[in-house]
Amino acid sequence: MTEEKNRDAKPVIMPHAYDGIQEYDQSLPNWWLFTLFASIAFAFLYWLVNFVTGAVADDRVAINAELDALEARQLAALKTLDDATLWKMSHNAQTVAEGQAVYGSLCFTCHGPTLAGMKGLGFRLNDEYWVHGNTPTAIFNNISEGISFEGKPTGMASQKVLGTGRVAAVTAYLLSLQKEGGLKAIPRKDEPSQLTP
Amino acid sequence: MRPDPIRESVTTIGQDGTRRFLHPSIVFGSWWKARRAVAWLLIAFFAALPWVEIEGFPAVFLDIEHRRFHLLGTTLGLGDLWLLFFVITGWGFLIYATTALLGRIWCGWTCPQTVYLEHVFRVLDRLFEGDHVRRAKLDEKPWSDPSKLLRRGGRMLAYLVFCWAVAHIFLAYFISIPGLYPMITDAPLAHPAAFVAMAVATGVLFFNFWWFREQLCLIICPYGRLQSALIDDDSVIVGYDEKRGEPRGKAAPGLPAGDCVDCRRCVQVCPTGIDIRQGLQMECIACTACVDACDDVMTKLNRPTGLVRYASLRELDGGKTRFLRPRTILYAAMLVVGLIVATISVLRVQPAGFKLSRPPQTELYAVSSASVANVFRAKIQNKDEVPRRFFISAESAGTKVAVLNQSAGMVIEPQAEITLPLTLLVDRQDYRGEFNFTLRLRSEDGKISILQKAHFIGPDPRTLQK
Repeated sequence: MTEEKNRDAKPVIMPHAYDGIQEYDQSLPNWWLFTLFASIAFAFLYWLVNFVTGAVADDRVAINAELDALEARQLAALKTLDDATLWKMSHNAQTVAEGQAVYGSLCFTCHGPTLAGMKGLGFRLNDEYWVHGNTPTAIFNNISEGISFEGKPTGMASQKVLGTGRVAAVTAYLLSLQKEGGLKAIPRKDEPSQLTP
Repeated sequence: MRPDPIRESVTTIGQDGTRRFLHPSIVFGSWWKARRAVAWLLIAFFAALPWVEIEGFPAVFLDIEHRRFHLLGTTLGLGDLWLLFFVITGWGFLIYATTALLGRIWCGWTCPQTVYLEHVFRVLDRLFEGDHVRRAKLDEKPWSDPSKLLRRGGRMLAYLVFCWAVAHIFLAYFISIPGLYPMITDAPLAHPAAFVAMAVATGVLFFNFWWFREQLCLIICPYGRLQSALIDDDSVIVGYDEKRGEPRGKAAPGLPAGDCVDCRRCVQVCPTGIDIRQGLQMECIACTACVDACDDVMTKLNRPTGLVRYASLRELDGGKTRFLRPRTILYAAMLVVGLIVATISVLRVQPAGFKLSRPPQTELYAVSSASVANVFRAKIQNKDEVPRRFFISAESAGTKVAVLNQSAGMVIEPQAEITLPLTLLVDRQDYRGEFNFTLRLRSEDGKISILQKAHFIGPDPRTLQK
C-alpha cells in the first residue's frame, strides 16, 4: 500500500487471509512513528557522543581516576607513617580516643574488651611483648594487612574495613598504653594468651 | 468535519496517521454532576494529603532522597520494599474485581487522566474558547487572528498555570511541603534538580492535556487493552439498548419506529469519538457522557430515559445480570486474601532491622581452655524517629550461650545503622556439638523484639574431652 492515503478514507482490508483471519491496513499514528524515529536518532547520537567522538568521558575513566587519586593519597599518608609519627599520634588525645572507639567496635571481639586477649582468638595487647614485630610500623602493618603464620592467615586484614586513618588511630591507641621505645619482642610459643589447649 | 465514527478504525487518528482533534459537546446531566463531585473530591484529596501530618510526618511522604517512605504514620525503609508486592497485586485484584463487576468504572470516574481532563482542562476549554462549535471554528482560524491569539493563547497560559500547580503538588509527595517551600522561594539555580524535575513534570502534563488527551487511553494505557480479558457478558458497561432503540430515526412505512431518534447527541459528546450505538468498543472509557446526552433528549421527547445506560450485555439482550459468578467470586476472594496478608505484613513491620552474618577473614570458631567461641557480625538498624537502646541476647533450647559485652546494650540514633561484632561463648562443659540457637534483638522500651536464627559452629565434642 504505497499510495498516499486520504485522511478521511475508509480503512482498507488487506487481500491476504490466514486461518480465515483478515486484517485492516491501518496506519500507525504519526506521533507513534515519531517516537520510533526519534529513538533511532537518539541511539545514533548517543553512540556518536559516547563511543565515537569521546565528547562525553567514559564513566570507567572517571572512576579509575578517582580511585587512583584515593590510592595516591593513601600511599602518601603511609609514607609519612614512620615510627616517630606513630608515637607522636599516640600522644594526641583525640586520635587515641578515635582509636579506642574503633577498638571497641571491632577488635575487642577477639582481643578482649580489656586488651587482655582471648585464648585461641587473639593475642593480648596490654603488655609490652609483641610477637610479630615490636615497632609501631610493624603493629600498623599487622593491623592493616593481617598476619600470616605458617602459611595460614591469622588476624584480620582491616585495611579494607577501616581505611588507613582508622588503622593508624587504633595503632596510636595501642601505643598510648606503652612506654615510648619500650616494645619488646617475644617468640610466639612464649606468648601465653594465644595458646590453644 | 470529521467523518462518522466506525468500528473499524479510531476516529482520532486519520487513515494517513494524522491526529484528529475532537471538540466534544457537553450535557450537564445528573451523571456528569455526580462525576464532577467525585472528581473534585479526588483533586481535593490529592492536594490536601501532603499537608496532613500524622505522627510528625506528612501522611504520604515518599522520601526518595533518604530512602524512607512515610505512609499514614508508618515509616518504611528500603528493606521493606517487598511490601510493594502486596500493593501491586492488591491493586491488580481490586481492578480485576471491579472490572468484572462494573466494567471501566475506574476510567470514567477516578482515573487522573479523566478527572483532570474532564473537570479541569475541558472547563478551561469552554471558558476560553466557548462551546464545541466555536472551538472547532477556532481551529480553522490562523494564529494571526487576534481573537484566536487571545482565546487559545489565554487557554494555553491557563493550562500552564494548572499543570505547574499539579506538578508542585506532585513534587510535594516526594520532598514534603516544608521541603518544597524553600525551593519555591529560593532562586531556581539553588535547587537545580528539583527545578528541572518540576519543569519537566509541568511540560509532560501540559503536553498530555493539551495535545495527547484521549490518545493515552486509546493507545498507551494497558488497562483499556486488558478489558476484553477482564469483562464478560455480565459486567456492567455503558451500553445502548438496541432492542428498544432500533430501527432508529424515521421508521420505514409499516414498521414501528425505535426510540432512538438518531439525533447524534451521543456521538457529539463522546470524548473518545465513538458512536456508542455501535456496541461495546475498546475506546469507550465508560464516562457516561452519552448517557446524560441521551437521557436529556429522551426527557424532552417525553420518552423513558435509559436508552443508553449502565447495563450488562446480557441485560441489553433481554436477560438478567448475574453479579455472583465464578469470575467475580474468585477475584473478590483473591482480593480479600491479599488484603488480609497485606494487613498482617504491614502490622508486623518493626521499626528496626536485625541481620546476622559471619565476618570475613576470621576463623569459624575458636576454642579456649574455658569455652568455645563463635563470632558474628550483627547489622542493627533503627528505622524509627527516636533514639533507642537495644539489647542482644541469645536463647537456646539446650546449651547456655553467653553474648560477650552486650549487657549494657547500645543506643542507636534515629535512622542509623551500626555493624557490631558479636562474640558468643559456650562453656566447654556445656558444649555437646554444633547446635541451632536464636538471637533476640530487643529494645529497652519493649516495643521491638526481633528474632534471628543462627547456627553455632564448633569442633567435634569428642576432641575436647581430655
